[in-house]
Amino acid sequence: MTLNIGIVGCGKIADSHAEEIQKISCARLVAVCDLESILAEQIALRYSIPHWYADFDRMLSEQRLDVIHIATPPDSHLALARKAAQSGCHVFLEKPLAMNAKDGRRLIECVQQAGRKMTINHWYNFEAPALALKEFVARGQLGEPVHIESFYGYDLADGFGQALLSDDRHWVHRLPGKLFQNNLDHAINKVTPFLPDEPLEIVARAYRRRQSNDDNTDGVMDELRVMILGARVSAYVTFSSHARPAGHFMRVYGTKNTAHVDFAFRTMLVEGRQSVPSALGRLLPPFQSSWQNVRQAARNVQEFAGSRAHYFAGLNRLLSQFYDSILHETQVPIAYSDILRVSEITDEISAQVYAVSMV
Amino acid sequence: MKLLVTGAAGFLGGAVVERLLAHGYTDLRCNLRRRTDIRKFDALSRRYPHASIDYCVGNLKYREDAARAVDGAELIFHLAARKKGVAADLFLDSVVGSRNLLEAIGDRRPMRIVLASSFGVYGVAGLSRGAKVDEQTPLEPRPEWRDPYSHAKLRQEELFWTYQRQNNFDLVVVRPGVIYGPGSGHFSDRIGLTIGGWQLQVGGGNPLPLTFVENCAEAMVVAGTHPDGAGQVYNVHDDDLPTCREYLRAYKKSVANVQSVRVPYFGMQILSRMLVKYHRYSRGQLPAILTPYKVRNLWGGNRFDNSKLHSIGWKQLVPTAEALRRSFAAFRDELDEVTSRMQITATVITDPGKGPAAQFRSSV
Repeated sequence: MTLNIGIVGCGKIADSHAEEIQKISCARLVAVCDLESILAEQIALRYSIPHWYADFDRMLSEQRLDVIHIATPPDSHLALARKAAQSGCHVFLEKPLAMNAKDGRRLIECVQQAGRKMTINHWYNFEAPALALKEFVARGQLGEPVHIESFYGYDLADGFGQALLSDDRHWVHRLPGKLFQNNLDHAINKVTPFLPDEPLEIVARAYRRRQSNDDNTDGVMDELRVMILGARVSAYVTFSSHARPAGHFMRVYGTKNTAHVDFAFRTMLVEGRQSVPSALGRLLPPFQSSWQNVRQAARNVQEFAGSRAHYFAGLNRLLSQFYDSILHETQVPIAYSDILRVSEITDEISAQVYAVSMV
Repeated sequence: MKLLVTGAAGFLGGAVVERLLAHGYTDLRCNLRRRTDIRKFDALSRRYPHASIDYCVGNLKYREDAARAVDGAELIFHLAARKKGVAADLFLDSVVGSRNLLEAIGDRRPMRIVLASSFGVYGVAGLSRGAKVDEQTPLEPRPEWRDPYSHAKLRQEELFWTYQRQNNFDLVVVRPGVIYGPGSGHFSDRIGLTIGGWQLQVGGGNPLPLTFVENCAEAMVVAGTHPDGAGQVYNVHDDDLPTCREYLRAYKKSVANVQSVRVPYFGMQILSRMLVKYHRYSRGQLPAILTPYKVRNLWGGNRFDNSKLHSIGWKQLVPTAEALRRSFAAFRDELDEVTSRMQITATVITDPGKGPAAQFRSSV
């Protein structure tokens, strides 16, 4: 069976959705929609998509769609997901989930009530190094998690950063957590699988490091530090717009080993306890680390040679799993509780940092 | 008569405002994206104290801003467009912004619009090598096979002709080649590709359709205000065009000795075929940034013709040799500034006692 897919929202992220959908054999991208018909038309033309619309209701009524990808600004997610689910479509959602966790919960509920499925574009968690970490943890090699560091670097000079800093009506300014809320999913969703299901203490601080624009965009903070404390596990989350290179990595400190996952380099390295005594014990680690890097590089070359190292390989894997879950009535690739937890933590961070800034 | 210049703070926009003032137009409105851009016009306002320049800060992608911008204007020079970025951004800024402008104009009369289009709208892939490109050359039949910039510019121009047929205003379309000057990029794609500090020189002996920013602005004004300009298209490039090879040689001599490798046209064709094959084989692991179609468009080796522009009285204000000299001097200054900034940083890092911060501290 082939799933008919439609995309609503034809901004820049829609390109990656279109590209990956078209690589999946059980899916057919049949229609795109944007309130701005010119944007829908251009993507339809570039990706040979047969139908484009400026009216979501019309797309739903004219096309027999199985899955809707929602790639619009978050303030429209709830309404669009509700309509899609009520029309019998499953929903693939671009992050962040919604304007807040309350709306996010309603969104998931209305999809479930309609007997449909949904998931969210947490694609980095489906990249090869993230999967390697998952296996490492499942094999018990990490031990108990003690502390997690998640770092997400951002470049405000790129197209998206410039778009929001040159336009004080950009939709990011409407988000309670502004720039952070639009990106924090990628940093927080790496931490949440290790956090216990208990109340957490969250301390968040943020500031604007860039120079003033002398306009309303100055309200957007660009550096964020978060400390999350559970009873036995803690985490640091860092979002930085100025540290270079704009890295993207996580470290998981376990009772047996520490794992370092670099999403930019596509590597997962393990730092184990040194068993060789004395001065030799300080001589060997760089060699051990280099050897791990060589093996990881060889694996990456193998992946590349086998055409499995696409930029959005993680998105492709996530989509394939989501479509499979629809076709074979199996579990969705990301638990709804995990999606909501990310949203709840983001809410708390937004409340703290933007309340602080208003004092 | 109130004139509106959209994208007035841009590279070409500022020059068009200056040429309009030089031609004696005194009632101007500049449409700007940022309030801080107003400062850019301080010197110009002082040079033309009798001119009335008002500033309309807004983004044409918002309908209300477009409506404010066109209010009371009778002659519009539409230059606002995006030059770089992903397709969605290029279409949003260049095409949606244009549609909003055209909707805002509606049936206001009198109205003349002068559109800054591009050489990129021509469909030259099907032309033989050395064929002449003039205003009669057909438009690109497969814009989706081209780069997103050319695609967006073609869609923008189509939009203007469609609205012109519906609403019957005066439309003048100006299609510049490669606009250059102090503040512009150093290398056009027509010369070749810049990869990791290396210049892959593909253009070779092809003429480079340069137009110095002041000459291009003059062409916009001459074509835009010519009584017979309505419904016309004008190609804009300077006289005495250098070849791509000559430009690169002069750049190396006057600005910086960039590393370059000559890649023959047929070599690029072979390379682009291989890239497309690999792109298909690997299901898009590497993007097909070069295709045989794009190679033919960029480096097919066309000649260019600006005789129509000359026929309405356009004269090149700055001769090509002088324009190149001025541009190269500015490019060199830019590079020197970057180098000195790096040296200052290095001094501060390696010897904190000698950097400007230390000097500042000791003088406090």
